[in-house]
Amino acid sequence: MEFGPALYHEFGEAWKTRDGYRLAKTISPELTPSQLSSIWQSANGAGSYKAARDDDVKAAIKRGLSSSSARLDGIGQKEIKGWVEVYFAYWQAAGILAQVQQTSSWTNAYEQWKVLINALIQGYNSHEFEAWTIPCLYVAGKHLRLFAMQADEHISVNDSSATAFQDDFDPELQKHQKLEDCARVLNKVFTICLSDRAPLEESRKWGLYYIVNLLFKTYFKLNATGLSKNVLRILTAGRGDMPDFHAFPKSQQVTFKYHEGVLCFLEENYAEAEKHLTEAWNTCHKDAMRNKELILTYLIPCHLITTHTLPTEKLLEPYPRLQKLFLPLSRCIKQGELHKFDIALQEAEDEFVKRRIYLTLERGRDIALRNLLRKVFIAGGFEPVAKEGDKPVRRTRIPVAEFAAAISLGSEEKVDNDEVECLLANMIYKVSQNYALPSMFLPGASRHPRLSTLIGGLIKGYISRERSIVVLSKSGAFPGTGV
Amino acid sequence: MATSKAPSADPKSSSDLPAEQPQQQKQQTLEEDDEFEDFPVDDWQADDTEATQNQQPQHLWEESWDDDDTTDDFSNQLKEELKRVEASKNKR
Repeated sequence: MEFGPALYHEFGEAWKTRDGYRLAKTISPELTPSQLSSIWQSANGAGSYKAARDDDVKAAIKRGLSSSSARLDGIGQKEIKGWVEVYFAYWQAAGILAQVQQTSSWTNAYEQWKVLINALIQGYNSHEFEAWTIPCLYVAGKHLRLFAMQADEHISVNDSSATAFQDDFDPELQKHQKLEDCARVLNKVFTICLSDRAPLEESRKWGLYYIVNLLFKTYFKLNATGLSKNVLRILTAGRGDMPDFHAFPKSQQVTFKYHEGVLCFLEENYAEAEKHLTEAWNTCHKDAMRNKELILTYLIPCHLITTHTLPTEKLLEPYPRLQKLFLPLSRCIKQGELHKFDIALQEAEDEFVKRRIYLTLERGRDIALRNLLRKVFIAGGFEPVAKEGDKPVRRTRIPVAEFAAAISLGSEEKVDNDEVECLLANMIYKVSQNYALPSMFLPGASRHPRLSTLIGGLIKGYISRERSIVVLSKSGAFPGTGV
Repeated sequence: MATSKAPSADPKSSSDLPAEQPQQQKQQTLEEDDEFEDFPVDDWQADDTEATQNQQPQHLWEESWDDDDTTDDFSNQLKEELKRVEASKNKR
């Protein structure tokens, strides 16, 4: 909006209704270059770059804001002074942004936008800005991050040759220089919101989740999950004095839950991750396809681990990318095709690693193995019925050789019996701790300590080494699968 | 490679190329950027949530095994293999 009566009127109107979103629109950079340019020129007298002295511009803004808010309750000189600084910074930013497409001076744009957000922070710290104006922090924070990413991108494109020969040049540090700086600024904003001691209805704490979400996105891009966890810890500690989470707009709830879920996921806390991601999924807007796809990218591996369930075709139908990602693995798991599972995992390895789901999906091999052994069990059929009218009982003594043959199926390599026993022992391990089974032999259970802690008893039974058979439980050999 | 054919002599390829390239590029950037997107609106009614769309969430997840489908190649292979193991055991 041009610096003139229209802007000052809008400022006054937003104040009158205490409409923070309306006020925030007056400092939005989401304008066309010509709109930005006319803002720049509107306060710039003749329109030439150095025509107006800064003090003149500030004085003009002050006159404008004062006159439009003269009849308003509650706005003091101190506040006006703070807003003059904000609009002055915005005006200068508009001048840079109007030409940024041609000049690519994203670093300048970032630095000037930082001046603006600092003016806002100063406003809350020293100029008594009221809490209803926090949407201004949203607009400022959102674009600070965007400009930082643009600046980093253009630095790495333009300056890579110039800086490459310096001894102390650290490409990783350089790559995200502005974004890291942005993270520090956003952290200040976070503190501004968190530290407000005003009663909840007029507290800046209502800005917390928007800002935290910006921080999450920033930290995720910087690969600094530890810092995200810090923010989570601070939030959890302060939750008692905060508005109820479900009172925040759903866009903020979903974004927060997604990131919280992914953070748990990366820590391999799948139960928690599933809880948060499911809430994100349920609350998500039905038409936000890309975000739903992202939620499912982590929710599907979660389900595989926690409940051993797979997505139905119906669930994946709208998401071709997820179909490509998960369907081949799902099929192998269902069929118990161990060898094909390994191939499918290998083929999509890069994609899985990039999405940070490789290690989780790898554990799906245990489910595939369970399903394969289950097939062997079912193929074994029933014991001969001793008495007429007895319920048929499945054959529960199965030669290790049968399992070995099944596991080797499809693969070039033959798996020897020792290894098969080891795999079986690991599948049994957890259950065997809870149920006292006779004559237990668990060869090599300690050889795969990692595996044994992961699986919560996929098979009930024991291995008899002398006879080279596996004796499976007559009541539910494969817990939770109906046999 | 295409020395015998001037680029302009093939109207199809010349008109197809520019249309295809940006599309490919777009897909690539989409793939790379897996950032959670801003929602176009701030808040919405319960009616517009995913949970309300799916009244039967049990249709979205299924068990990891499949007992019905035992006629596929792999199941048959497995049955053959198990028969073979049994036969060799009986021989011994």
